[in-house]
Amino acid sequence: MSIKSLLGTAALAFASVSSAQTLNVYTYDSFASEWGPGPKVKQAFEAQCDCELNFVTLDSSVGILSRVQLEGSESQADVLLGLDLNVMQAAKQTGLLAKHGVDTSNVTTPGGWSDEYFVPFDQGYFSFIYNSEAITTPPKSLKDVVENQDLRVIYQDPRTSTPGLGLLLWMKAVYGEQADDAWQTLAQHTVTVTKGWSDSYSLFLKGEADVVLSYTTSEAYHVVAEGEHKYKAVSASEGYYPQIEVAAMLKESANSELAEQFMAFILQPEFQNTIATNNWMYPVIEDVEPLPDAFTALPSDDQVLTLPAEQVAKQRQRWINEWLDATTR
Amino acid sequence: MLLTASYLRPAWLGVVVYLGIAGAALLALLSYAAPSSWFEYLQDPYIWRLIRFSLWQASLSALLSLLLAVPVASCLFHRRFKGRQLLLNLFAVSMVVPSIVAVLGIIVVYGRNGWFTQLFGVPFPLYGLGGILLAHVFFNMPLAVRVLLQTYSLIPDAQWRLASQLGFTRWHAFTLIEWHYLKKALPGLFLLIFMLCFSSFAVVLSLGGGPRSSTLEVAIYQALRFEFDLNKASYLALLQVTICSLVALLVYRLAPKVVQDVSVFRGASAPLRSGRLSTTVDGAMLLLVALWVLPPFVAIVLPVLSTVFWQTLQAPALWHSVWNSVRIALPSGLLALLIALSLAALARTLRWRERGDFWADKFEQSGNLVLMIPGLVLATGLFIVFRFLGIGISNAYWIVVWVNGVMALPFVLRSLLPSVYQQEKRFRLLYQQYGIKGWARFRLEWPVLRSAMAQGLAYAVLISLGDLGVVALFGSKGLETLPLYLYQLIGSYRVDQGACAAVVLISLCVVLFYVINRVIGGRRAEL
Repeated sequence: MSIKSLLGTAALAFASVSSAQTLNVYTYDSFASEWGPGPKVKQAFEAQCDCELNFVTLDSSVGILSRVQLEGSESQADVLLGLDLNVMQAAKQTGLLAKHGVDTSNVTTPGGWSDEYFVPFDQGYFSFIYNSEAITTPPKSLKDVVENQDLRVIYQDPRTSTPGLGLLLWMKAVYGEQADDAWQTLAQHTVTVTKGWSDSYSLFLKGEADVVLSYTTSEAYHVVAEGEHKYKAVSASEGYYPQIEVAAMLKESANSELAEQFMAFILQPEFQNTIATNNWMYPVIEDVEPLPDAFTALPSDDQVLTLPAEQVAKQRQRWINEWLDATTR
Repeated sequence: MLLTASYLRPAWLGVVVYLGIAGAALLALLSYAAPSSWFEYLQDPYIWRLIRFSLWQASLSALLSLLLAVPVASCLFHRRFKGRQLLLNLFAVSMVVPSIVAVLGIIVVYGRNGWFTQLFGVPFPLYGLGGILLAHVFFNMPLAVRVLLQTYSLIPDAQWRLASQLGFTRWHAFTLIEWHYLKKALPGLFLLIFMLCFSSFAVVLSLGGGPRSSTLEVAIYQALRFEFDLNKASYLALLQVTICSLVALLVYRLAPKVVQDVSVFRGASAPLRSGRLSTTVDGAMLLLVALWVLPPFVAIVLPVLSTVFWQTLQAPALWHSVWNSVRIALPSGLLALLIALSLAALARTLRWRERGDFWADKFEQSGNLVLMIPGLVLATGLFIVFRFLGIGISNAYWIVVWVNGVMALPFVLRSLLPSVYQQEKRFRLLYQQYGIKGWARFRLEWPVLRSAMAQGLAYAVLISLGDLGVVALFGSKGLETLPLYLYQLIGSYRVDQGACAAVVLISLCVVLFYVINRVIGGRRAEL
């Protein structure tokens, strides 16, 4: 390469940095990975924004929040993508978030959406997954999972994992004041409680448990991506507990216009179409390409259980202690 | 003054880079502490139950690892056989196998559908203390064997010659010679393994069978990540430091006083009589290793035979992450070596002086400090320091390099110190007489020290290669390392590909370990 062309390349590189703005989006690793929605979202958004979309990947949704809390007002983040229902309250209390101003009336999450700080970008439902070739009479409800002493169960620790926290709330929503007895019953046939989803799901795939805590959409993953039909989600007659993943923009963002544009883009079909088969969750608007058949219909509103966010924020520690007491007794 | 000599200035710089930054990070975190609230935390019964369990499982893990490591090390020192070198190389990488990979390897062997069940018809009682011990011995017994082998190399040749002439059996040699040296290494080794197991996290949760088996590290993680309660995190971190220090005090109190040994260079080995007893014991130990430590390794490496493996190799992201890992691991290994050399230079200057031994011990032990403080806590503290100084996250690369380097320090010091002390004790007077110091002395000692330095560097590079926690916290663009990539794969249902990435990681570790030891350690390097 001649010096001239080298200089040319350098100048070009410099120009591309200086002309376009960069939008920094903090997200969790599997969202931004090559098989996640990240690359498609980046391409689609960059096609309409004359900017560069830069994903900063952290290990989990709580990782995103604690990183921003560490950075405080110095944070370089413009948008946080991947917080969930249960950390919304904590995120709001940091005082670092800005209102988004996006119209969320077309959002299809249970009970609709009306939060001025957060825009939802996907939804899913916690469920236990089982291997239908190994179990002849599968459980049909959360109660079945808790009470069937022959069922070997693996779930995640609510102190270190989001699905684990989801189960904690689900149990609370179903059992209320009797939750500690239920935990004790479950503890008697629990194989182990792991740090995160990856650990438990891989233990389950190796045959260490009959059921594992995951999402209803895990079934769809095995069918669509692997052509494997034996993994099924336990239906929950008491109702499902949702996980809704959300995005928020930061007050101190240097590119707030661009950030607003991105927040609105989240509810566009270009973004929402990437969710089902890349993030293995459900989109949150109706106007999307039809989902593969393996995605069962979303539970209707009366099949969904939720606890109010304020109560969750206030009682979480108490409920975790209740779980600890019941399972270590 | 002894320590203000100009040639020791670089060493002080090394100490500042280590203790200065670590101190700043801890102080930054502690500035959020509100000790008045700690009294309330102290009354949490769960924390005490957790500590009791941690003390128990960590002591058992360390004892069991040592109990097995001593005879295995003796056997490997005295016998040469096919596969010995391979075994030693595997032993070097065991401790950097990512926990999820090790757990999956153990599951393949001891799980419900594992080889053990198929062989004996009954499942191994894996979940609970049994599984935790199994995993911890898998991680730490090989480490202990390698450290003990190093201790063996401090035994002067003359003693072996004498033993051979007197017709010692292996048992005589063990009780009269080897034990004398081993017993000095054992307390430190016990502590090292104890601390590693005391703060072990994902393994304890995965195989522990429920929150009854848990460690303080889990509580620290929860406080830092889920609650962002810096006050509680600093309380828990201090609690962990206190407990580990108390255990360290106790162990050193019970341990024999360490007097550094002076060894002579390795020459021709003098064979000892091999009786029926020693043959039986050696055979039994090797069988035990073959049946306990090797099967999970085999299970981990097995995916190499699958077609998925070759598909995984074709992903550019894999090679990108390999490059990122190397880019972080080599500088942090080098940093660890430089800091360790600094501490060693200061410690040896003080050693065998009036009242100097005390301070020399302190320099040595300061290297272990970092084992008591979780990497996550250090990294968080550093982050606060950087924010305070107004330096942005573009510098995360150096934070990761520093934290990884510092975390490897205990291992590098362990490799380095015996040889450094040995030189000091033998030649101090000569060096003083001729005024040889600083760079000139380093050049003189290089041929003797290089193999120990290579081993320390190799360990540090491996530890950094296997690190996950610190990178995950900062996770900036461009820092997607191989372990992170591996977790990404497993975290999105691709367990088989993740297992293949683990094979790549282990191969990379073995290759780097070998190359570093050969290139820097020279041809004489004991691998």
